[in-house]
Amino acid sequence: MTGSADLPLLSDPPSYGTGRPPFQCEFPIAIANPADTNRLSLTGVTRVRRIKRMRSKVIWSSLVSLACGLSVSPMGSAFPGLELPGAPASEDPAVYVIRAEKLIERPGVVHENTSVLISDGRILEIGPDIALPDGATELKGAVVCASFIDPWSALGVDNGVLADTKMAESARTADGLNLFDVDHLFQEALRAGVTSARVQGGWQGKVCGLGAFVRLDPTLNDPKHAVLLPDADLAMSVGHSVNRGATFQRMGDGTFQMISGDRPTDVFDRVSEIEAVVSSVEAGEAYRRAEVEYKFKLKEWQEAIAEKQEELEDDFKKAKKDRDKKVKKAKEDGKEHKESKYKEDKKPREPKFNEDKAALARVAEGEIPLVVEVHRSSAIRNLLAGTERFSRLRLVIAGGSEALSCAEDLAERGIPVIVWPSLRGTTKKDEFTGATLSLAGELAAAGVPVLLGSGGRDADTTRDLPLLAQLAVGHGLEKEQALEALTIGAARAFDVADRVGSVELGKDADLLILDGMPLEPFTKIQYVFCGGRPAVTPEDN
Amino acid sequence: MLNGLLAVALAAIFPGDTDIPSPTAAVERMTAFQAKLVHTGDGSSIEDCVILVKGGVITQVGANIKVPSGAELIVHDGALSPGLIALQSEDGAVGELNESTRTVMPEAEARYAFNPEHKDFSRALGVGITTLVLAPSPRSLIGGRTAVVKTSGGRVVKPAAQLMLGLSSDALNRNKFPTSYAGAMGELEKQFSNPEGSVSRAAGGSLPVLMDVNDRAETLRAIAFAARFDLKGALYGSYWAEDVVPAIKESGLDVVCTPFNVGEGSRGIRSVVGLSKAGVRIGFGLEAPDRHPESLRFGVALCVRDGLSPSAGMKALTGDAAAIAGVSGRVGRIARGLDADLVLWSADPVALSSTVKAVYIDGKLVHGGNQ
Repeated sequence: MTGSADLPLLSDPPSYGTGRPPFQCEFPIAIANPADTNRLSLTGVTRVRRIKRMRSKVIWSSLVSLACGLSVSPMGSAFPGLELPGAPASEDPAVYVIRAEKLIERPGVVHENTSVLISDGRILEIGPDIALPDGATELKGAVVCASFIDPWSALGVDNGVLADTKMAESARTADGLNLFDVDHLFQEALRAGVTSARVQGGWQGKVCGLGAFVRLDPTLNDPKHAVLLPDADLAMSVGHSVNRGATFQRMGDGTFQMISGDRPTDVFDRVSEIEAVVSSVEAGEAYRRAEVEYKFKLKEWQEAIAEKQEELEDDFKKAKKDRDKKVKKAKEDGKEHKESKYKEDKKPREPKFNEDKAALARVAEGEIPLVVEVHRSSAIRNLLAGTERFSRLRLVIAGGSEALSCAEDLAERGIPVIVWPSLRGTTKKDEFTGATLSLAGELAAAGVPVLLGSGGRDADTTRDLPLLAQLAVGHGLEKEQALEALTIGAARAFDVADRVGSVELGKDADLLILDGMPLEPFTKIQYVFCGGRPAVTPEDN
Repeated sequence: MLNGLLAVALAAIFPGDTDIPSPTAAVERMTAFQAKLVHTGDGSSIEDCVILVKGGVITQVGANIKVPSGAELIVHDGALSPGLIALQSEDGAVGELNESTRTVMPEAEARYAFNPEHKDFSRALGVGITTLVLAPSPRSLIGGRTAVVKTSGGRVVKPAAQLMLGLSSDALNRNKFPTSYAGAMGELEKQFSNPEGSVSRAAGGSLPVLMDVNDRAETLRAIAFAARFDLKGALYGSYWAEDVVPAIKESGLDVVCTPFNVGEGSRGIRSVVGLSKAGVRIGFGLEAPDRHPESLRFGVALCVRDGLSPSAGMKALTGDAAAIAGVSGRVGRIARGLDADLVLWSADPVALSSTVKAVYIDGKLVHGGNQ
């Protein structure tokens, strides 16, 4: 610290975070900026216009006519009672049939001349000859594939939540979404083919809270539709040399100047940060064990009580006589009568509720993945060693600049690494110094599950994820692996593979119509379907 | 460095011989490159093209050329392009290009900061950059002269290529002259009204200028200044150009585009696409090593995604860039008489998914291949 007595340092700058949300509150999730009501109505108007424009071109049909259409289609009868999980992805009942020369169901699974029927936001049918239902829109394309997912994004997260360095484990990024301020960035990301993302606040802190899996559609302004998962993961970080918020220093003229303060990053700090991660998981595990033990003991106690009660009822008179005798004897002896105690009197105590530990318990049990941003090889090695005994933990490494040195271990344990192919210079020495653009390719070649993300720092980088993926391909990643990383791989890692990530029956219709193969440099995206709705059409380009 | 010393020594031994032999000139054997697709650097391309190289110089280019017997034949089943050119860089010279004590230094020369042994250059080579412009910092009003250098071999292609002028707010200081646009422009006008040395050559149009600008007002001010003193050269800074494309086009100045970040604002991309479509000659700055050398192709890829034609993008990285730096007689194109700076790519050089297979400078393999 360099501040003298004349220059006081305020080590805790004002926090702009939303604070800790109530535990397990259900929707509606608070929108970060309530002053946005004007924008809300504006967005609403735009949406109506868009839909009108869309519908003026086609006579859209209701679900009733869809049913008629289905009944005449050859495969329709096979799915009369198809149960679709969750809320419908879109309120738009329009029906689309997309005829693809090449349908990439998922990387490596390609069907020629196949059609996709979309209704109510879902893929209702896939087959070679689907009849066009009444009023449905028919689109044709050379290639159809699943739209892209950014598993490490900041798009749509309120700036205060992004900058929050003191996120609690249970703090939810989903409570700090701002779907309005950056709607142009949403549109740009959609134009690039990215329709959903795992967004994470608090990346500068050691604990970053719960990340959310969101759909990037600016017109889906209801969080119920935009948020696919409010608790996609719990994130932490180790060894950042980023600004830990900022400190304010008073200058000679009485004004305050912001001084960026770096988070300490010497090797001992990093070791203690890894220990913090490991002990957090441990605490979560202990919390879950205590919860389970309590439930077991409570049941045992309830049974014992019931048994005792039965016993007492059976022999009530005798018990009363015995007690009267004891009371009388005590009186004669001049003593106070003490009621005899049963061990059953002691009701097991419920463990004290702790929302942060409850979130950690979910991590320890593998209910949600634990994403740790870590870059240096020593830190990754220590993290892997420390977490080895948690058999249910689902660890995901974000960044992993020097992860290649632990590739064997990562491959053996199947731990995915979200690689951020960033274009960093060499002038600054920090945790990214070991990163190269060939990292993704080398990790994948070593058998490590590789995902690709845009780094989760800035909202505007999600748009360029497909280009970054191409760059990773240029530096050694197989094209198919890159496509998998951007689609089904990312969906699987964050438990949304039942909704997005591939073009399959029953899934949300989040897909692209292209004039060539995806991730090829000069392929143009013609349509982007987001939640069953064409969010980007050729007119937008 | 040793090469330089050798050259000086040779020059001393043979004072009448002005043609100093380059290190590769001794290689008399002819090399023939045969590639599936050759981007010539002027926006066109030739399929199944053969390039003959002798003494580090291209001697013949064309589709129907017979490879002479005895020539070393290199067959490449991919694309071949001229080495890429970055129009602003600090590679190997961080801190050496910013003379912060004075703001007017027309005689300063960036070539004295050139350290060809620095590892920054091998990073640049790895992504296909063979030539770059070391430019004095735009934080000075008149920062001195740029140098065009190669990323391997230590050759300075052109020692005093452009005169760097700082017309953006970056040249203004808080408590040191100049502190305002008014002061800055006054000083520049004083310098150019009574020109001496480099300034007088710039004022006559024989030394191109590189004028650093950021916003629209600065761009228009620079254009007016160039018109008043008959300056030739380029603007450095393109983010806001979108709104002033006609003025730039009319001025006849070229534009060195600001390097792009991942997530670059769409305005910056639209500006470059707009300039190119209007027929303004463009090239790209790099600002390495603060940025990754792949930023050069990344910027072009962003623009291509948003409407720039791939051939225009390729031109901006090669032929047009060489013309802006004033070295089109030496590098930037695949044509007879030019240096054999060649990059062998797996596929189209503008595509980020393409890989650099090998890089040749002056006909010599300097990266990749079967070294």
